[in-house]
Amino acid sequence: MKWKFDFIRFSFLMIFILIIASWMFIINVEKADFFNLFSNKNIFHAKKFLRDLTGIGNKNPAFKDVEAWKNALQLTYKTLVMSIMAIGFAAIGMIITVIPAARNAADSTLTMSNKWYNWILFGVIRCLYIFSRAVPELIWAMIIVFIFKPGILPGAIALALHNFGILGKLCAEVVEDLDLKPIRNLSSSGASTGQILIYGVLPMVTPKFITFILYRWEVIIRTTIVVGFVGAGGLGQQFKLSMSWFHYTEVALLLICYILLVILADLLSEGLRRVFQ
Amino acid sequence: MQAKKILELREISKNFGKMSALSSLSFSIKKGETVALVGPSGAGKTTLLNILANTVKPDKGSLLIDGIPSYKYTTGKQLSRKIGIIRQQFDLVGQLPVIHNVLAGRLGEWGFFKSLLSLILPQDKELAIKSLDRVGIPNKIYEKTSNLSGGEQQRVALARLLVQNPEIILADEPVSSLDPSRAEDILSMLIKLVKEENQTLIASLHSVEYAKRFFTRIIGLREGKICFDLPVEKITDADLFTLYNLEELK
Amino acid sequence: MRDLRHSIDLHKRTFLTLGLILVFFWSLLSVEWGTNLFHSGGGVTILQIAYGFFHPDLSPEILNLAITSSWTTLTYAVAGMTIAILIAFVFGIMASGVISAGKMTTLFSMSFFRGLLGFMRAIHELIWAWLFVAAIGLSPFAAILALAIPYGGTLGRIFADIINDVPKEPIEALKSSGASKLQALFYGYLPLAMGDMISYAMYRFECAIRSSAIMSFVGLGGLGYQIHLSLADLEYDEVWTFMFFLIGLVVIIDLWSNLLRKRLVE
Repeated sequence: MKWKFDFIRFSFLMIFILIIASWMFIINVEKADFFNLFSNKNIFHAKKFLRDLTGIGNKNPAFKDVEAWKNALQLTYKTLVMSIMAIGFAAIGMIITVIPAARNAADSTLTMSNKWYNWILFGVIRCLYIFSRAVPELIWAMIIVFIFKPGILPGAIALALHNFGILGKLCAEVVEDLDLKPIRNLSSSGASTGQILIYGVLPMVTPKFITFILYRWEVIIRTTIVVGFVGAGGLGQQFKLSMSWFHYTEVALLLICYILLVILADLLSEGLRRVFQ
Repeated sequence: MQAKKILELREISKNFGKMSALSSLSFSIKKGETVALVGPSGAGKTTLLNILANTVKPDKGSLLIDGIPSYKYTTGKQLSRKIGIIRQQFDLVGQLPVIHNVLAGRLGEWGFFKSLLSLILPQDKELAIKSLDRVGIPNKIYEKTSNLSGGEQQRVALARLLVQNPEIILADEPVSSLDPSRAEDILSMLIKLVKEENQTLIASLHSVEYAKRFFTRIIGLREGKICFDLPVEKITDADLFTLYNLEELK
Repeated sequence: MRDLRHSIDLHKRTFLTLGLILVFFWSLLSVEWGTNLFHSGGGVTILQIAYGFFHPDLSPEILNLAITSSWTTLTYAVAGMTIAILIAFVFGIMASGVISAGKMTTLFSMSFFRGLLGFMRAIHELIWAWLFVAAIGLSPFAAILALAIPYGGTLGRIFADIINDVPKEPIEALKSSGASKLQALFYGYLPLAMGDMISYAMYRFECAIRSSAIMSFVGLGGLGYQIHLSLADLEYDEVWTFMFFLIGLVVIIDLWSNLLRKRLVE
């Protein structure tokens, strides 16, 4: 009781110190000057950038160009395909590993089968989950483009690697929170481990798994543009190119497509989730 | 004619830590009997049923199921032919439609692929329809189980037992989560089905009233010991008084 | 007819699940499968990367660099989160609509701020970073604001939901004793919601570390930047050293926030 109290106090103190230290470091060592942000030079640049983005004063902005629209929409489509592939890979990986990664499967309350390697498998898979989700998508992408040629596949794999760990953790917790009574009841009607899986575990976890998969898909859609930066294809790659050529109206066009895609994905996933609930 | 002993307990004891849940219980149950376990909560009724179901191992003593020691039943398949269980929370898989919950009673007989196939194309569908008909809910076959009322879910659990068709049925407070009129329906149905199939029934009950009305034999448990074990017509109010009010007599 | 409707009802989810699986397979068709997918030296590279995993570079200079980079990554995450929490706090209260008077203003404030928060989080932090760098140049604030805006959007939305979900009885009691909307906020809503709000902010803190690490792309130093440099030099052993530091940092923050969250919820 006393220790609990202390832990919370200690944590808040740590957070407080961290915040102070971080800002001190950033202001003193990294020489961040907040008021310099609003210098005339910066304001001029920001205004010019906004004008360039919106295409004011530009004779032929990308919004009026049919070719540019076609190109952007095609890239949007590719990005969408990449995100679907990514969530598919991640989900397959999760489904293969999730049962042994659940604590109640490892201590055999779930499947009623007690094998010596259960705990080893549990530990190995949980470490894999931690490892894969601790590394951001972009860094996975940076490594993977060394192996694969640029395209949507390396992007999808990078996104899948990161989301595999997240999905795995979320879904293993679903399995751990399962109501075990129906499962015990199945086993008392003579069901084997495999039968318990398909008649008990699977129907109980599927709605939640699909909810999590759709939710992660929304996040992946937002992130696909980022893995494109390192050459993994889609909207991101074009975004980076247009940015470095200072074709700002093109950048704005790509951003519009990107935001539309994100909104569309959110709506779609919400609708689907409602059906599965 | 002497019916055979289908269950026999010899000096069964079970402790949880320092708490003694059951101490040295011995009795036997003949085929076709309907036995009610009554007693105050904490008397060890659930522990006893779990031991009979072979899901909890006793610390001491032995249990014979149909003349064979319980530890010889190593696979769920063998045991599921002898013993079926029904509980107060029904313990059905709510997300599955009724038919699959009923057919789950066949899992002990089916192999893995047949059970997988059955999820898409229900196998032994006639059997499921007949059982649901017998428990009085023939039109709920494709409904999602969690959408049914408590009484209907308990009927689904009964239909599953019919499909499983074990020799002994263990019922742990089968009606305590239902309202009184539903509870009577379910109990009388359970008794009727057990009689029709010539099965043996052992049920733990909260209500002595139900025990007296529906069962042929009543075992009174208190603090892990048998307080009385009598045919229903020989139970006196004095017996029940001792069972529930020992404390006050002291 | 009834039977048909029932069986459609029954199989609705099965069909949808199958549909989702089919969409996935269809997405695979857009890749031309074959060895052409790999760089010619891809296999060798995999082996080198795998070798680096088991033999990370543990020389003092690299360890030193890794520690300072971890610190940089951490400080930017903390700085970004502080601003994100401030934004989320103000916008979240506005988006919950508990302090606006009148039906129309409430509706307006809720939809406007919810829309704004949605826009903020629709765009990935790295895109915000690019836009800020293009607008105000390479400044630490470009990275901090880029972190703060999408995180503020997510946190603000959740804060608004938490405030809307507090039990209504204590609030009614306060109002019936004559509390104004602002008083109800400070004496009712916020004390009731604070535990959940802190808990969720701690949860996002772990994600902020990861986001801060990838800000290297817009010139921010830190673990991501070092990984980027080492990859460019094909020094896979160094890459793994920095990776392990990143993973360690994320895991420590994750454990800490889990412990704290458990204590706060109790």
